Amino acid sequence: MARAIVELHGCTRDFGAVRAVDGLELTVDEGEFLSLLGPSGCGKTTTLNLVAGFVEPTAGRILIDGEDVTGRPPHARGLGVVFQSYALFPHLSVFENVAFGLRERRAPETEIHRRVAEALALVRLDPHGRQRPGQLSGGMQQRVALARALVYRPRVLLLDEPLAALDKRLREEMRGELREIQRSVGITTVFVTHDQTEALSLSDRIAVMHRGRIEQLAAPREIYERPATRFVADFIGGSSVLRGRAIARDRVELVPGLTLRVEAQPLPMGQAVELAIRPERVGVGLRGGGEADAEAVGGRIVALTYLGAQTEVSVELAGGQRVLGLVAEPAPTPLAVSQPVSLTLPPDAFIVLE
Amino acid sequence: MIGRVVIALLVAFMTLPTVVVVIASFNPTAIMSVPPAGLSLRWYVNALTYPQFRRAAVNSLVATAAAALLALPIGTAAALALERGRLRARNLWTTLLLSPLVVPGVAAGLGFLILAAALGLLRSRTVLVAAHVALVLPFVARSVWVSVRNLDPTLERAAASLGATPWRTFRRVTLPLLRPGLIAGFLFAVVVSANEFVVSLFIVNRVTEVLPVAMFTYVVNYTDPTIAAISSLFIAATVTIVWLTDRFVGLAAVFRLDR
Amino acid sequence: MKLLLLPSLVVIAVFAAALGGLFRYSVLEFVPGSLTPGGFTLANFRAVVSAQYLGYVWDTVVLSAATTVLTLVASYPVAYALARTPSRATRSWLLILTLAPFFTGAIVRTYAWILVLGNAVVTWPIPMLFTERGVLIGLVHFSMPTMILLLAAAISHVDPAYERAAASLGARPGRVFRRVTLPLSLPGIVSGSLIVFAWTLSAFPTPELLGGGRVKMIANGVKDLALDSFNWPGAAAFAILALGLTLGLLSVVGRLAARPAPE
Repeated sequence: MARAIVELHGCTRDFGAVRAVDGLELTVDEGEFLSLLGPSGCGKTTTLNLVAGFVEPTAGRILIDGEDVTGRPPHARGLGVVFQSYALFPHLSVFENVAFGLRERRAPETEIHRRVAEALALVRLDPHGRQRPGQLSGGMQQRVALARALVYRPRVLLLDEPLAALDKRLREEMRGELREIQRSVGITTVFVTHDQTEALSLSDRIAVMHRGRIEQLAAPREIYERPATRFVADFIGGSSVLRGRAIARDRVELVPGLTLRVEAQPLPMGQAVELAIRPERVGVGLRGGGEADAEAVGGRIVALTYLGAQTEVSVELAGGQRVLGLVAEPAPTPLAVSQPVSLTLPPDAFIVLE
Repeated sequence: MIGRVVIALLVAFMTLPTVVVVIASFNPTAIMSVPPAGLSLRWYVNALTYPQFRRAAVNSLVATAAAALLALPIGTAAALALERGRLRARNLWTTLLLSPLVVPGVAAGLGFLILAAALGLLRSRTVLVAAHVALVLPFVARSVWVSVRNLDPTLERAAASLGATPWRTFRRVTLPLLRPGLIAGFLFAVVVSANEFVVSLFIVNRVTEVLPVAMFTYVVNYTDPTIAAISSLFIAATVTIVWLTDRFVGLAAVFRLDR
Repeated sequence: MKLLLLPSLVVIAVFAAALGGLFRYSVLEFVPGSLTPGGFTLANFRAVVSAQYLGYVWDTVVLSAATTVLTLVASYPVAYALARTPSRATRSWLLILTLAPFFTGAIVRTYAWILVLGNAVVTWPIPMLFTERGVLIGLVHFSMPTMILLLAAAISHVDPAYERAAASLGARPGRVFRRVTLPLSLPGIVSGSLIVFAWTLSAFPTPELLGGGRVKMIANGVKDLALDSFNWPGAAAFAILALGLTLGLLSVVGRLAARPAPE
């Protein structure tokens, strides 16, 4: 049985008339990497601040390793935090920054030296101990912040969008390093981000948040392939939404003459239904070339967006609804707006939305 | 081009009197002439040995030191409270803190004199120090406030997350980072208090007289260049302090001209 | 957090007590020969609005107005240079030179003018020392640093992009100044002038030393009443007049600052 290290029970936090976090229930297990994912304003940072103790809940309790820490100030919670701006002390050297937490715990000098050296080695910054944070690049500062938070072996590591300030390449590099370090140290981690790629690649579980609530809490694959709510389906990955009526257990009619076979779940007969399908599942073929597939649906290209490795194709179906598809570049034949195309929509690729 | 000349003239106008005073201080005779007929240090000797100046200088030193040392923690506390405290009456507090700057010197001076009489403190230095603290506090608070504004509050959260209690956070993080504002504030306090004249004129007597008041009395009664000598010493001291403040903090930042 | 304001509150309270004493004495009767005042009376305020004292006030207002105008004219070029100079060294130097007189103390600066105006440097064709024009020069000199700083702050808030835009539209420097910089820095000019005006109304050391007893402003009147005649109640009433004028002017400044700038 996994041991719960972080627990939030019924946590609500209001800021004046705004309810930032609404009756949140969340458990993070020992050694787990959990991401809080959502758009700005969804309450993910507030949730992190509740765990850290920077903000008190209006209602509810917070437990760390079984202890009720609600009301306890941040310095007494034994956590490690990496801030989005890193918050390295500009007047202290890298060494002193990392040593800060150990000094607060009255560790003996020799031990401080040893553990700081270890921590700096862990983040590969050994030679930079004497420098000031201002002399380091963004990526290096981020690693110092990580070392500083880990050196005194806290119970939980909290990260508030730590990679947001880095450029794309550095971000991807750091992502890998972060995961490796987290696994090697085995520390329970809560990671706040608005970047779904980060969340999907780093997490053991993801909590997708919206308007102060958790929309879905599950492993990355489940979140992506079986989004539980419309919000999650929209937020994670791109998707197109098609509206129609269920005319059979496995058929949806978009407009008279245009039906789709859907294999997701038994459909409510006669009811209006909303289907989502991810662009990468949509096959885009040029009409007039090759055999027509029984599942193929005809349409016309209305927009093309070049993305480098792919081109996103927006196709209008009979009846006016649009579907997004992706074509790998370089495309076999050149695409143009108004071109007729044939779309393959695999029945099992559809997600039925609530 | 004309602009440069005009500005040079104006700057010369602003600094001319100071130059004249310094030159006159070396005048060998009591009758002032600039340029002087020769060079002499006799007036410096006179200034430094004049008993009333010596007593006044000591009084100034004590009063200024006391006022500056008191105003610094009070002003720092106020700056922190105003910037971080999320007070509803913040504007009111700011106005109150800055109010001594607005009151005419003679009104404040007379008021403090009346207060001293009412408290039976006419012969003591207490009211003088209290008045100086009140007059100097706005400058200190403002200087420190500039530093507080530039202080990233996330740093204090970081310290807390690392296990530092609020007091230790203040000592290890906040205070070191406030240093420029604290130094500038202290220097401001010293300069303003050392030069304070109008209010002090009302409150002091011959025993508690501070240096500017002693100088004033001298000028009213005598016309020899002793006053030029002591003025030169005064100028040297205050220019040094102003230069020090610029080196440590950058005056442009303190007066918010670098936006 | 609020506790941090407690010591400041004490200081403010002491200051308020001083002002309170001032107000109290202003409505008490002056007993000649004694420092202890008598009972409630409005005689002090009646005296304040009498011809003699109103004369003081009028002289003060005129002198202060003249000072303000001259100071403004003399300060604007320096302030402009201070705000707009690209060279950091020049700015530092200008700032130090502007501020140094500020910090060398009233007595020193006024004494310096006693020397200059008193024929020690140049023999003047007309008497300068102990005259109104002497006091005027002294007051202008005294006020320039403050005016320069206030104007420089106002000018530096005018985005140089506006000046560049005007130049790109074909305006010569003189026109750019007249039609863009000056109007946009006008609020700062007005508030700076009002502040200097209010401050000059209460000027003391300059008229005291350079006026030689012949030129008297409100502050000198207060001092004479309080320290020479020991008429504390009378002095208090006069001082309150000065306080009222200052506060009135500064509240106008405050209201101007709060108003959004006209297009």
